Amino acid sequence: MTTATVVVHPRDSAVRIDIGGEVDLENAGTVEEQLSAAIPNETTEVTLGLGELSYLDSAGLRVLFALAARLEVLQIELRVHVPPGSVTRRVLELSGFEGVAALE
Amino acid sequence: MAASSAVTDEDRLRRIEQITDTSLSHLRIEDLLTELLDRVRSLLEADTAAVLLLDPSGTHLAATAARGIEEEVLQGVRIPVGKGFAGRIAAERRPVIIDEVDHSNVLNPILREKDIRSLLGVPLVAEGGVIGVLHVGTLRPRLFTSDDADLLQTAADRIAMVTRTRMSDLDRAAASALQRSLLPGQLPRVNGMEFAARYIPGEAGGLGGDWYDVFSLPSGRIGVVIGDVVGRGLQAAVVMGRLRSALRAFALEEDDPAEVLERLDGNVQHFEDNVMATVMYAIIEPSLERLALSTAGHLPPILAQPGTPSALVNVPVDLPVGVSVGAPRRTTLIDLPSDALLFLYTDGLVERRGRTLDAGLDDLNAAVVSDDAETVCARVLHDLVGGTPVGDDVAMLVLRRLGTPDVVPLNTVVPASPRTLADIRSAVRRWLAATGAPPDVAADVLVAAGEACSNVIEHAYGPAGGSLSLQMDLDGSTIVTVVRDNGRWRSARGHNRGRGTALIQRCSDHMDVVAGVGGTTVTFWRTITEAGS
Repeated sequence: MTTATVVVHPRDSAVRIDIGGEVDLENAGTVEEQLSAAIPNETTEVTLGLGELSYLDSAGLRVLFALAARLEVLQIELRVHVPPGSVTRRVLELSGFEGVAALE
Repeated sequence: MAASSAVTDEDRLRRIEQITDTSLSHLRIEDLLTELLDRVRSLLEADTAAVLLLDPSGTHLAATAARGIEEEVLQGVRIPVGKGFAGRIAAERRPVIIDEVDHSNVLNPILREKDIRSLLGVPLVAEGGVIGVLHVGTLRPRLFTSDDADLLQTAADRIAMVTRTRMSDLDRAAASALQRSLLPGQLPRVNGMEFAARYIPGEAGGLGGDWYDVFSLPSGRIGVVIGDVVGRGLQAAVVMGRLRSALRAFALEEDDPAEVLERLDGNVQHFEDNVMATVMYAIIEPSLERLALSTAGHLPPILAQPGTPSALVNVPVDLPVGVSVGAPRRTTLIDLPSDALLFLYTDGLVERRGRTLDAGLDDLNAAVVSDDAETVCARVLHDLVGGTPVGDDVAMLVLRRLGTPDVVPLNTVVPASPRTLADIRSAVRRWLAATGAPPDVAADVLVAAGEACSNVIEHAYGPAGGSLSLQMDLDGSTIVTVVRDNGRWRSARGHNRGRGTALIQRCSDHMDVVAGVGGTTVTFWRTITEAGS
């Protein structure tokens, strides 16, 4: 069973969401719902912390791309924290995610 | 006239005795008691009869069988020990007679509704302990005599004996079923490692709280457990089941064995009353070269290697779980070279009557050698148990690192379901660790293999599903991965899809897809090069 932890830290109009564990085809849908629920409409900035994410596949990428697209429409800024050299960063770089949000 | 029709008390008692014989042994305990109660009613010429048995907590009596007042059972009457008519009998362990039931002061409304006028009850005593209460009642006022009480007590003693035996049989059967369902029937198959295990019930079918467990963790590590809940019978087996589940849950959350046992300890101290258990938990690294181990009062394992005498592993032993707050628990790293074998066991194997623990451990050390895991199990049982039944139950688990110098190809076929992805990754991580591929290459191959499998799961089959085959092999210094399905390829649907194939291409040197009527085969190659080159 694939397990991911989604921890939400709301701070005024900004939200930081830390995703840990693994995200793949099995749990991507659940993670997507958790992310949507974590972001209220009045949010102006979302920071995704992916430092504890040890595996991300294309199903997980799809969730992140969809999130980035939606936040752009809502004019909510998206920042992504992912340690250089990590497996998750490599997958994000390979998939061209930097085109929709900067990796910090 | 009276003499010819009168059935003597002796006759009636004999009728109760008969029922406790084997003729009715096929009856459920409730039905058996009901049958007995009919004969007790006739023996005492009473209108009602009921048996209440002490529940496992020992604080309440629960109506188990009744005649004339069936409502007691149907409504699941529970009486606190020490309160009311039946509660007093259990608490004081003596007969109680009520000549005229005071209906303003009866705990059990059913006695009132039935308008029972007089009552006589006696304790059910087996093996020196109260196990319940037997009582009879009449709808007309009656003065029960001490002779009546003696007669009912004689019947009660026989009923107590048969109830006790029947309940022990049931407990044993339940404990046995529980053990069977909880011990892994098939141990995980791990490339480069071999497992074998045994569980031997104690003397006279005495099952207990011993258990072993082996599970794959998402990180590619392998969790290994052996434990022993103090106590015997169904209760110990039930607690064992809970501890096993709790440990598995904590194992998913913590990477340090000492921390897992610390949390298990907290769980036991909070939720379990008067439970103590010894547990050893080890995590084998994906490379299989090393394991981290922590022991909560459990005997250290034996390490056997070719060319070296087998010996107990030198690990600090911390407090058993469920005792009290003690010093912080410790984790020890142990190297597991090729062909090394680790033998885990519970104390029932070495603690035998008429032999010291040290002598038992010496015998065990002599019996454990680095050999085929199943052979070692058989040999240990032959040498240490032989033909003498074990007093306490015994669990043992053998793990052996296979010493093939070459990397064994990974070959796995699983149902094409999202659920299997995490397990597939565990196997791939372990296999990659065995190849010695540098971390960046291993990470890329893991992602590519994950994508290829994901593709099969998402696109190859309709709702009926199918299977997915993954093979990985090392060809010189190139990792060759082949993922196959026997379904029909369907291109990606929806938005933001189809990224998988691109990822495989970018994570490999070369990729090849062959789609045909018989299914689709995705092959990709990745050469192991040093990081940065």
